[in-house]
Amino acid sequence: MNKILPVLKSILLYTILTGATVMMSFPLFWMISSSFKTVSETNSPGVVWIPREPTLEAYIAIFQNQDFLRSYFNSVFYVTLALVGTLISIAAVSYAFSRVNWPGRNVVFFLMLSTMMIPPQALIVPQYVFFNKLDWIGTFNPLIIPGYFAGGAAMIFLLRQSMSQIPKELDESAFVDGASHIQIWWEIIMPLIKAPMATVATFLFVGMWNNLLSPLMYLQTVNLYTLPVYVSTLYNINQTVQPWPTIMTAAVLTTAPLIVVFFFAQRYILESVVVSGLKG
Amino acid sequence: MIENPYLNVLFFAALTIVFIISCSYGLGYVAKTIARISGGSPKTQDNAFAGYFFAAPWIVGFLIFVIVPLGFSLYWSFTNYRIASGVPTSWVGLENYQTVILKDDSFRSSIINTLYLTVIGLPLQVALALFLAVLLNQKMRGERVFRMAFYLPVILGFNTAVLLCWRLMLNTGTGIINQLIRSLSVSFPPFNWLNRAVIYAQEVSAAFFLGLNTGKFNLMLKVLEAGFPADNRVPLWVQSPLWTKMSVILLMLWGCGTMMLIFLSGLNNIPKELYEAAQMDGASPWQRFWRISFPLLTPYIFYNLVVGMIGALQIFEPIFVLYRDNQPIVSSTISMVYYLWQKSFSHFEIGYGSAISWVILAIIMVVTVIQFRLQDKWVTYDIY
Repeated sequence: MNKILPVLKSILLYTILTGATVMMSFPLFWMISSSFKTVSETNSPGVVWIPREPTLEAYIAIFQNQDFLRSYFNSVFYVTLALVGTLISIAAVSYAFSRVNWPGRNVVFFLMLSTMMIPPQALIVPQYVFFNKLDWIGTFNPLIIPGYFAGGAAMIFLLRQSMSQIPKELDESAFVDGASHIQIWWEIIMPLIKAPMATVATFLFVGMWNNLLSPLMYLQTVNLYTLPVYVSTLYNINQTVQPWPTIMTAAVLTTAPLIVVFFFAQRYILESVVVSGLKG
Repeated sequence: MIENPYLNVLFFAALTIVFIISCSYGLGYVAKTIARISGGSPKTQDNAFAGYFFAAPWIVGFLIFVIVPLGFSLYWSFTNYRIASGVPTSWVGLENYQTVILKDDSFRSSIINTLYLTVIGLPLQVALALFLAVLLNQKMRGERVFRMAFYLPVILGFNTAVLLCWRLMLNTGTGIINQLIRSLSVSFPPFNWLNRAVIYAQEVSAAFFLGLNTGKFNLMLKVLEAGFPADNRVPLWVQSPLWTKMSVILLMLWGCGTMMLIFLSGLNNIPKELYEAAQMDGASPWQRFWRISFPLLTPYIFYNLVVGMIGALQIFEPIFVLYRDNQPIVSSTISMVYYLWQKSFSHFEIGYGSAISWVILAIIMVVTVIQFRLQDKWVTYDIY
């Protein structure tokens, strides 16, 4: 009895966990499977788990769809440009909050933390008017430029925590050798915080790649659409038969970068979610 | 202006970088000068320069993108400002606020929808997250893989593409979820009963909340009159106003990974000695959970409830993807932020939209304060 019970317990545990895993990843499986189906298979009442004759039609079609390819390029372009600027400015601000002792630091830091209380949506109306005044509606500017001003208090907080843990002696000996703050920041501190930078980069990447609301507000023409906006237009309620294989192919290609990034960064992410209580 | 959109943004990005760097130097020198005048040592002066030099991007951004917009939106919320309407903007006092709070049916339904998600969805989500966290806390092999699998939906969750996949799966007639429910109901009678009971409970409660919104409870009476659902009933996920919120709750459950990780860290922080002592005294696993884990996890439950509730106010993408073009039922599921977007950007009523933003902001503040007040009643911080 004493030997059987733990075995039974772990069998039960693994069964439940495997069941939950199957349920959690089912949408992903269904997405991939549906992308290889024919339109009639996705719209018929019978269940087709794995298409008997997988077809690549939808993939061939989507790679010839100029609008899709352009929106893919737009997404990559916007995310790259926004990510680089945001990361560097966040790293600079975190340096100020963790390595330099300046008058007013605590006040500014408190202000920064309190912005986390403001829901970003409370600001979208006045920001829209502001960008409208600048004549920036219908350009990528409103999506990219704000990030350059170290957008994202939670990210600054995360990076500051990691930077504070680096021993102070490093900076001091560099000062004695005549290094400037900029040199210390870029040449000493930055190489030491590669892992937290990767975490922050992943969170920012996921947020930008999935972003629907601001591209929807600011881009307005098909030429500029990013993936989330374009993909949402593929589904059209006025059609009686939805082109599900095409939509799901677009979905597979849209989620692929997310999954790849998550796979490589999961070790850092899973730990830092807990540190900062971030919503991914 | 540069015509090419890509070159255009590259040009403005370069301009922004120049602007930020000059702000950095500007602020740095001002801070240094002030430090010198107030008699700081050379080291203090250097630190003042470096601090403001590096913090300048945030300080300037905070002024441009937070403080100034907040000020303007507060001002506009008292006016009838509309973009491109040609009507001159005039001061209307508290009229916008009166309309939002007292007369606006859509805003009221967004509050009630949020309430539904909070009362019914959030406890389910927290319970599922806690359940998964307790299972994962058993420290067995492969724990990391399970953890990844449960967190992945958070990464994917709000992507339009993934939400469209949910729309495919939730289709009433041909969607895989209903197909599974149908075949399970046929082959396994207890599941059939369970399914019908859940459908009944869900429809009655949803009809009650819709009744709260209109003030008339005919729909609920109708549902009650129709009695226990028939044998072959399936959920009407994206079709009926009674079910729209349930689909959103399903997505909330799917994305419980963040909460789960937070619970896991909470469980990790509980000293092992407590469990060992309880085991010595003969406490069962069930007792150990309710007497030790649960009370010590209350701070984490509290945190998840606060964050989850604020999150429920802000749900946007699922509503946009699942219901955007289904006008008759979209009002049964809109969130406050979705309504704000609708009002401000399809009607361009900036003044009114600003008033909505401030009401949302106020509601979030009030909710947070109330929850912090209530926490003394049930949250245990003793051991920390």
